Amino acid sequence: MATKMQMKTNVIRYGVAATTGLFCLAQAGNASAEVSDADFNALKSAVQQLGEEVQSLRQTNQIETQTHQADLQQIQELRSKLAETQQTAVEAKQKSDAVAEVQSQPPERAPIDEATVNHNFMMLGDAEFQYDKSSGQNGTFLLADFAPIFVYRGGDNILYEAGFDTFLGNNAPSSAGASTSFQLSFAQLDYVVNDYVTFVAGDMLLPLGTYSERSAGWLNKFPDNPLAVDALIPGTGVGTQLRGAIPLGQSGQFINYSVYGVNGESSADGTGNARALDLGGNVGQLSNGGIASLNGSPSGGGRLGYFVPFKPHYDLEVGVSGMAGQWDNTLDMVQSHVWSAGVLDAALHLGPNFEANGEYILTRYGSGDQGEVTQQGLFVQAGYRLAGLNLELPAINNIELVARYDAVHDGLNPRVERYTAGFIYYITNTLLFEGDYEFLHSPDPTQVDHMVLQLSYGF
Amino acid sequence: MKQIKFNRFSVPAGLAGVISAAWITSLAWLPAHADPPIAGTASTNSVAAAAPAATAVAASESHHLTGAELYSIHCNRCHPERYPTERTGAQWKTIMLHMQVRANIPVQQSKLILKYLQDNSGR
Ligand code: HEC
Repeated sequence: MATKMQMKTNVIRYGVAATTGLFCLAQAGNASAEVSDADFNALKSAVQQLGEEVQSLRQTNQIETQTHQADLQQIQELRSKLAETQQTAVEAKQKSDAVAEVQSQPPERAPIDEATVNHNFMMLGDAEFQYDKSSGQNGTFLLADFAPIFVYRGGDNILYEAGFDTFLGNNAPSSAGASTSFQLSFAQLDYVVNDYVTFVAGDMLLPLGTYSERSAGWLNKFPDNPLAVDALIPGTGVGTQLRGAIPLGQSGQFINYSVYGVNGESSADGTGNARALDLGGNVGQLSNGGIASLNGSPSGGGRLGYFVPFKPHYDLEVGVSGMAGQWDNTLDMVQSHVWSAGVLDAALHLGPNFEANGEYILTRYGSGDQGEVTQQGLFVQAGYRLAGLNLELPAINNIELVARYDAVHDGLNPRVERYTAGFIYYITNTLLFEGDYEFLHSPDPTQVDHMVLQLSYGF
Repeated sequence: MKQIKFNRFSVPAGLAGVISAAWITSLAWLPAHADPPIAGTASTNSVAAAAPAATAVAASESHHLTGAELYSIHCNRCHPERYPTERTGAQWKTIMLHMQVRANIPVQQSKLILKYLQDNSGR
């Protein structure tokens, strides 16, 4: 730019010098001779022309200078814009770096979105495989049980749960092959009405004692049920129930209750004979397609429990429960016989490694052939996890030693007693390997001592 | 041995059950209890890691039990402990409803335990 300007200035200078030169020459000519008018006019117009040219060159120069000024300003603006852009780029990079950093970390746990979890279906349950060796028999492997539970939650307060039991049994000695039995063990709808009341309907697990509500292969400490639980009380009933828990103070104590009405017991053959008592058959649907309860009045029952935690892993729960109703399918209320049961249950934890629980069961029912039949049963069991010994041995912390005493006297047959001792090896918290030896004291020749190894899995 | 008599007076026991059920139903219309104060759950996360290992907590009247404490009180009573990481938040919601009904856990306690399980759940 500077050179261009200089050039322009030089041109002007030469122009002026040349004009002055011409003018002097003309004057010199004048000295010797008179200048003609024509020559003078020609010279005058040439000078004027040069003046105009100088003028226009000046203007051009001015414009050039202005343009230059504007250019400079523009450059300045561009520079500052560039700086801004660079700043933005740096910021953007910082931001993207921050994002990348956040993304490489686990995302912040967002609150559960109600819309996506309003309904939920799960298959839960357990499965058991056993090896059983009864004295005097061949040892055998068996699929003891595959017991899925289907659970469907609708919203916050409704749960539908249905549990099944699948067994595999051979058809020997009468025929070849094996058959599968598939049973509904319970199917109930739970509706949480408010903080203190839950309504239950269906084929419900009955809170007669706590055993039937709290059993599944991976949570039982033994591979089989207490004799009295199987023999004396129903595990389920078809009907409705109200249950709930009421906290006492802030220390975690509460009382819990349940009251229910169910179809109840019935007679296997329609008679009132003592051996015809059927604890689980009266489900409302008759074999001839009709729909009716087998007897005229439903059974009612309930449980009241009290739970007190002293501190985590130290607690006691005690409960008393009962159930009663007509059992013998007679429509004549005066002639009919009543079945009734009372159960006391208790569970105690002393630290994370010791647990003991048990139930005492008493039932009574009238019969046509044997008069009043009184039945009694009992089980007490305890478990101790060797982790409590604080031994520095690898496998030992996963072992729990267990022992149980149970007995039943059904009022019709001689009393049976059983002592069971065994262990549980926790492969994981839900995969358990159990081994037990059961000593039976029974007049029944089919009830003999036996050893059971069981693998049970909860899912 | 003297036996407790359950016989005749329990004839209408079915009815009695239904009547008491009806009585309890009337309780059903009680207003739902307000949520327990959240203050009690403030320490949930810090206690979380230690929860399975019996955080000894004095069960005093003035202290509101946290979700972590209630978890360690209840969740290995009936079966081996099930860890929060075993299930997702949505699954815990279903399982806690199952356990609340099955184990008769008070609703307010159940809510705190659910929060603890979800805060520490697997995904
Ligand atoms: C009063 C006994 C009891 C208590 C207390 C209890 N559970 Fe359970 N739990 C059960 C029973 C019984 C089952 C098996 C249900 C079945 O198979 O029918 C079960 C099953 C489970 C399962 C397997 C999935 C399922 O829903 O069946 C999980 C997970 C579980 N419980 C977690 C918990 C947690 C977490 C707590 C603490 C709030 C808890 N349980 C407290 C009795 C209990």
